[in-house]
Amino acid sequence: MTDTMTPLLEVTDLTITAATSDGPTEIVNNLSFTLDPHSTLGIVGESGSGKSMTSLAIMGLLPDSCTATGSIRLGGTELLGLSDRELRRVRGEKMAMVFQDPLSSLNPYYTVGLQIEEVYRAHRGGSRRAARAVAIEALDRVKIKEPARRVDHYPHQFSGGMRQRIMIAMALCLQPELLIADEPTTALDVTVQAQILELLAELKEQSGSGMVFITHDLAVVSQVAENVLVLKDGCQVESGTAQQIFSAPRAAYTRALLDAVPRIDDPFDDLKGASR
Amino acid sequence: MTGDVLFSARNLTKEYVTPGNGAFGSRKNRFMAVDGVSFDVTAGTMLAVVGESGSGKSTTARIAAKLLDMTSGSLQFEGEDVTAARGKQLASFRNNVQVVFQDPFSSLNPKHTIERIITAPLDYQGITAPQGNRTLVRELLERVGLNPDHSARYPAQFSGGQAQRIGIARALAVGPKLVVCDEAVSALDVSVQARVINLLRELQRDLGLSYIFIAHDLAVVRQIAESVAVMNQGRIVEQGSREQIFDAPQHEYTRQLLAAVPQINPEWERQRIAAGLAEGHER
Repeated sequence: MTDTMTPLLEVTDLTITAATSDGPTEIVNNLSFTLDPHSTLGIVGESGSGKSMTSLAIMGLLPDSCTATGSIRLGGTELLGLSDRELRRVRGEKMAMVFQDPLSSLNPYYTVGLQIEEVYRAHRGGSRRAARAVAIEALDRVKIKEPARRVDHYPHQFSGGMRQRIMIAMALCLQPELLIADEPTTALDVTVQAQILELLAELKEQSGSGMVFITHDLAVVSQVAENVLVLKDGCQVESGTAQQIFSAPRAAYTRALLDAVPRIDDPFDDLKGASR
Repeated sequence: MTGDVLFSARNLTKEYVTPGNGAFGSRKNRFMAVDGVSFDVTAGTMLAVVGESGSGKSTTARIAAKLLDMTSGSLQFEGEDVTAARGKQLASFRNNVQVVFQDPFSSLNPKHTIERIITAPLDYQGITAPQGNRTLVRELLERVGLNPDHSARYPAQFSGGQAQRIGIARALAVGPKLVVCDEAVSALDVSVQARVINLLRELQRDLGLSYIFIAHDLAVVRQIAESVAVMNQGRIVEQGSREQIFDAPQHEYTRQLLAAVPQINPEWERQRIAAGLAEGHER
């Protein structure tokens, strides 16, 4: 565990450049932020803001056409410049990611148990029997009923919310210090979303890992994150505590974004953030 | 024209039969995706059909748009029974009822130019626009807030919100009276979503369009729909005006659904709006 004084994740001057047909384009620009252990940072932005690219850069999963410069330190270890082999060790073990679409992240041909076992054994080795026990326990932790039976089921036998639980189980089976959740509830129904958010909060409480929660949904981020970073076109618009961002946003963009959120308690004639 | 029933559905059902386990004498499983759904759409208004995945809302939309055959039930458009419409009657129905889908990219052919995409419904109908297709496309692009000079571009050159506007422009090409929006703003960013919602509303105002708006996002529905039907497991559990559904929900399921909608801390919202007003930002 890291000392509480040193941040769990420290991103400094992260710039991501993509090779496009028009030459190199900076898709993330001089981004700096830190995440303390046990806390959640919400990164919000619209599509194209660079929020997903930032998470991929942290995971070392950027496509070949992109290069990242600057510094990404996880528990004091510089991640940029690590070899694929070294990165593979850090991924899963120290940090894990949950993606938006659980169905396309799971292999339809293998049982969910086998897929969790595979992750576990790739890092920790051991027998299949031991890994299977880990998989069952992981499913149990994310509150899948009858885990010992469900472990032998295929992804299509689960609902969307259940699949996302499985992805979370897979991400957490090695007890990483950092969980990156990239739009983990975007594809889910509201009632299921509420359950998954609750589950994530609970698991974070139990495990004490830090979380970077990436979303476009401001209402969701206001519920999960202590700190919020607002991104637009690859640049940091503002950052602060959730309360600061939501009650007293400084940037005009943040205000516009908040004004555009449709509110269930109060219909407006026109959504104000929507000036063309 | 507002106030008349434009479209009505009565007792729609859609049954899927899945094979049993294959053993001799095993029963086939019957699954009612839509089970006795009835609703009316008043001209010039929006009926929102809300529900979670698997509730049958999209199946209902597809049946209403005649993209999917129903098992039983009936559909009326402008008082005419269109349940079994075919040939000319179906063509005229398609002129009046168009669909906007959720995923703008998968519903736009990536190899066709915007102009070809938008005029495709005209081609299928064998219609040529009186002002010429090119002019029509320019008008429609402008109407939905896109640059009319971009008609020779391909879908990949547009953002999600722009692509959805293209989908809307295509729906408008034949001059429909009813547009079925199947999760049409669900895939969009919040500010883009707000703009597309405002566009739908503007079109309703200017062209007198009616909508069947399929959505899972209750906050969005609250902003635009005049009436709301809540679906669960193939049935409409509750139906009424926006105020009835949001302010005085009767059914337990509606209450659950409303309670699950994530909200920004109301206290923070209040402070932000108050501070915004103090600084003279328009809210």
